[in-house]
Amino acid sequence: MALEVPCPHCGPRPFTEFAFGGEERPVEAADAEAEFARVYLPQNAAGPRRERWFHALGCRTWFTVTRDTTTNRID
Amino acid sequence: MGALRFEGREVPVLGDDTVASALYRAGVRTFTRSLKYHRRRSLYCGTGECPNCLVTVDGVPGVRSCITPAREDMRVERAHGWPSTERDLLHVTDRLHRLMPVGFYYKTFIRPRFAWPVAERLIRRATGLGRLPEDGTRQTPTARHLRTTVLVVGAGTAGLAAAVEAARAGERVVVCDEAPIGSRLAPGRTLDRVRALEAEIRALAEVQVLDRHAALGLYEGSFVPLAAEDELVQVRAERVVVATGATESHPVFPGNDLPGIWLGRAAARMVARHGVPIGERIVVAASTAEGMEHLSALVAAGANVIAAVVPASLGTEVPDGVETIVDGKLTSAQGRKAIAAVFVETSGGTRRISCDALVLSLGLAPRDVLVRMAVDEPVEVVGDASLGDQEPHLHEDGTLCLCEDVSLHDLRQAWDEGYRSSEILKRYTTATMGPCQGAMCGRALACAARNLEDVPASPAGASPAGARTTARPPARPVPLETLAAAVHEVIEKRTSLHEVHVAAGARLGWSGAWMRPFGYGDWHAEYRAVRERVSLMDVGTLGKFLVAGRDAAALVDRMFPTRIRDLEPGRSRYLLALDEGGFVMDDGLLCALHDGAFYLTSTSGGAARMDARLREWADLLGLHVHVLDRTAELGAINVAGPLARKVLELLCEDPLDADAFPYPGHREVVVAGVPCRAIRTGFVGELAFELHHPRSRGPELWAALMREGRTFDILPHGLDALELLRLEKGHLYLGQDTMPDDTPVKLGLSWAVDAGKEWFVGKPALERVASLPPSRRLFGLEFDGGPDDIAELRGMPITVEGAVVGRVTSAERSITLDRAIGLGWIRTTGDGFPTELRAGTAAARVVPTPLYDPEGVRVRG
Amino acid sequence: MADLRVVTVLSSGAGCDRVADLPGACRVSPTEVMIVGDASVEVLERAVRLEDPDAVVIDVSDGWALVLLEGPGAREAFARLSELELPARGFVQGEVARIGARALVREGGIGLLVPAMLEAHVRERIRTDCRGLVP
Repeated sequence: MALEVPCPHCGPRPFTEFAFGGEERPVEAADAEAEFARVYLPQNAAGPRRERWFHALGCRTWFTVTRDTTTNRID
Repeated sequence: MGALRFEGREVPVLGDDTVASALYRAGVRTFTRSLKYHRRRSLYCGTGECPNCLVTVDGVPGVRSCITPAREDMRVERAHGWPSTERDLLHVTDRLHRLMPVGFYYKTFIRPRFAWPVAERLIRRATGLGRLPEDGTRQTPTARHLRTTVLVVGAGTAGLAAAVEAARAGERVVVCDEAPIGSRLAPGRTLDRVRALEAEIRALAEVQVLDRHAALGLYEGSFVPLAAEDELVQVRAERVVVATGATESHPVFPGNDLPGIWLGRAAARMVARHGVPIGERIVVAASTAEGMEHLSALVAAGANVIAAVVPASLGTEVPDGVETIVDGKLTSAQGRKAIAAVFVETSGGTRRISCDALVLSLGLAPRDVLVRMAVDEPVEVVGDASLGDQEPHLHEDGTLCLCEDVSLHDLRQAWDEGYRSSEILKRYTTATMGPCQGAMCGRALACAARNLEDVPASPAGASPAGARTTARPPARPVPLETLAAAVHEVIEKRTSLHEVHVAAGARLGWSGAWMRPFGYGDWHAEYRAVRERVSLMDVGTLGKFLVAGRDAAALVDRMFPTRIRDLEPGRSRYLLALDEGGFVMDDGLLCALHDGAFYLTSTSGGAARMDARLREWADLLGLHVHVLDRTAELGAINVAGPLARKVLELLCEDPLDADAFPYPGHREVVVAGVPCRAIRTGFVGELAFELHHPRSRGPELWAALMREGRTFDILPHGLDALELLRLEKGHLYLGQDTMPDDTPVKLGLSWAVDAGKEWFVGKPALERVASLPPSRRLFGLEFDGGPDDIAELRGMPITVEGAVVGRVTSAERSITLDRAIGLGWIRTTGDGFPTELRAGTAAARVVPTPLYDPEGVRVRG
Repeated sequence: MADLRVVTVLSSGAGCDRVADLPGACRVSPTEVMIVGDASVEVLERAVRLEDPDAVVIDVSDGWALVLLEGPGAREAFARLSELELPARGFVQGEVARIGARALVREGGIGLLVPAMLEAHVRERIRTDCRGLVP
């Protein structure tokens, strides 16, 4: 209800309209070790990071934003 | 004006009396007892911030009598003290306070072990702020949203002026105040200005005035919930103007909580507005301009002010007839039931002045709690709320936190014990954690911590030890009912056959977010109809999706482990959905359509997630795909049983025989005039046709099938019958028989995975897991003995010689097989699994599944 | 709902652009247009497939239920159900009564298009939260 997420099609909306898709990450990895890290070990950095969001109660499209995990501000 | 009822007697209500002024006029002097030590407390702040005036009104505790208008026939009681507030035997705790130092409940009554629960109960009964009414018959408030450009919090002179300015600049404005406008002011210049601004505001269409609405907090995006008696208004503003003013500061010195000590506003209002005298010998200590106004108001109203303690700069403003004491410092107040004397230290020494009332206006504390909640929201602070921090008056001892009865001595003791910052001191002593939430004592706590640290404040700001504690919502007390007004988490989904089920006498119940029929009276009879004749089930809750576009096959091929490449139009296949960890998330059916598109079904609970994932992978893989969620648009009726085809042939001219329409497969057919996609399914283990049809035509289709089925003794079946039907086939229920980390191997579903496919979501994980030793597997089970209702074994641990090796996930007595059967997972090392098992009082053994019709002959017919 | 006609067009951005300005058209997403009201699937298909031969046009009327908020209290009733800011006229979609719904603002009222299986839920929400504001 407080945080607003900017959907590229619908504009800024309360976060309850969205599902969170995690950190942006590649679809595949070079080897088994990298694949394990890709699936189970997110960077989880403090600071701005690229994230996937889904506008579940609106246009139902996926998009990527940059959110700062320390201030919770989305560009 | 009438009277209110107070502890068995009538108390007259005059003019614009508050509950406090009416009681005070009637002679009530002790309003509450302090939380821990049961010290007498009386009216103090007059603005609804301290806890001293809390009473129970009409059964509701925690009412601030100093700001609550008195009404005829109100029932008012005091809440503290035993047996009464007036004669409180628990006052003895004040003398015992050496035995109950700060944090004593962390140190005492711990041994022997039984002592704490007993002690805790006694302690709870002795403290507390009142009893909640037993009957919750308050009307639920409504919740609404409100968007505006500017939200002004506080409708005093600064707030109203800011609102007028914004409105004249063409902005949409909402002004809120927790009280009726002007109600907290004593008659005078300020009140006149407020009234004038109010008139101006109310004439402007762009301004909404919400008085009696308290701002609870400032959240991200400048979201401010406002709580009123009967509603919760959730305001989202582009910018917020905080004009909440300032309280008079709460000085700390020994005896500072005695009845008869007032803050300036409270005293001035009681005398000048309500006309109630507060004493015969009044001493006023003032160091602010406002304080001098209060002094003048008291004198003008005829109060007998015997002395005024003021700084030299204000000495000339003291009215004639009042002794002026210049640059005096209050060092303590004395008295038993109320104040009897105050000690003032001057350059000439310490003087004892006997008095029966002490009025304090020794500074202003900006009400900045909302401001301190903001991170980088656009917040402007105007008026007294923007005053800089002023050092509160702190002596060597005295009550710092009125709400929680915490003294400076307690703070020192806690500091000595090693609790060395304001945040930790707060948590250990509970200072600032009471009803006022630090409104009166927050600054004093920070200042006391700084003094204890004995390090000069750095130029940039407060030292960490002496920082103000974090401000958190709610800024004002709010009933849970008001917050709950905005919460609606129950969402009910219904198929178009809902009324049909109700009319048939179905027992409806929750299945996830859906309201579904569990049975229609006798589920055993329904079960038998499916096994022996024909039956209908409403499966319209299933997720249903169209995946079309030029890359449809590519998406389905890569997203799912199912073999796609040889799936011809008209054929269908069991579909598993894995996540990137290789774990089973969902299952369903995949039907290949004639135009290269696909029709998928998923479990009812997984529908929304399936839609999201289809879109996600199309996006991630850059595929040109159209995904249409048809879950709402289509209903589905499963016609199941050995006679299913016979019933359908009466209503359908399309060929349904096994050659024209083999299993597994799907066909577009017309049944009773309703266009359907018929899908042959095997979930219940009988010949079955799942008819996917336009939702609006469901009742018509159901009625036609029931009508034609009558000659075959058709019955509908619900979820209770389904549980056993599928269990006899060893078919699992996701979520009941599966765990979030079940791979296809653990569930015996390797056959549903196309290992030859180069890549699909979860394949790398499955390869990695395949190289690990096996951990557990889901097996079919059979039981001997056990409870009469075998279903009670659900969830029972499976043991081997007392050691737990697994768990029963489903259990039921099979009607056809006349055995107790189930499913459960068992730890396995790969080279076999234990055979002599127990589940509760039953013996158990692993059996191959399916138990019923293992060859699947009945399904393929 | 017998009277409600809803057609969905799934196409590329350019394909959707071809029909996005037709009467009753709502741009649900960059690749989806919903047409509410009289619309011929065949006519729409022809128009869109000129741009995108891959497009899908389907009558999905059965998937939606229309719930009307009418009268002077309509906007206030909506504010009790949703945080969405309503345009003076036009289309907006988002969270209404905790579900995803579409609102069509016209003269005289607000038409809420809700997934058919949630019609009972939304009507019940209006009954409990918007008492006295709408019939």
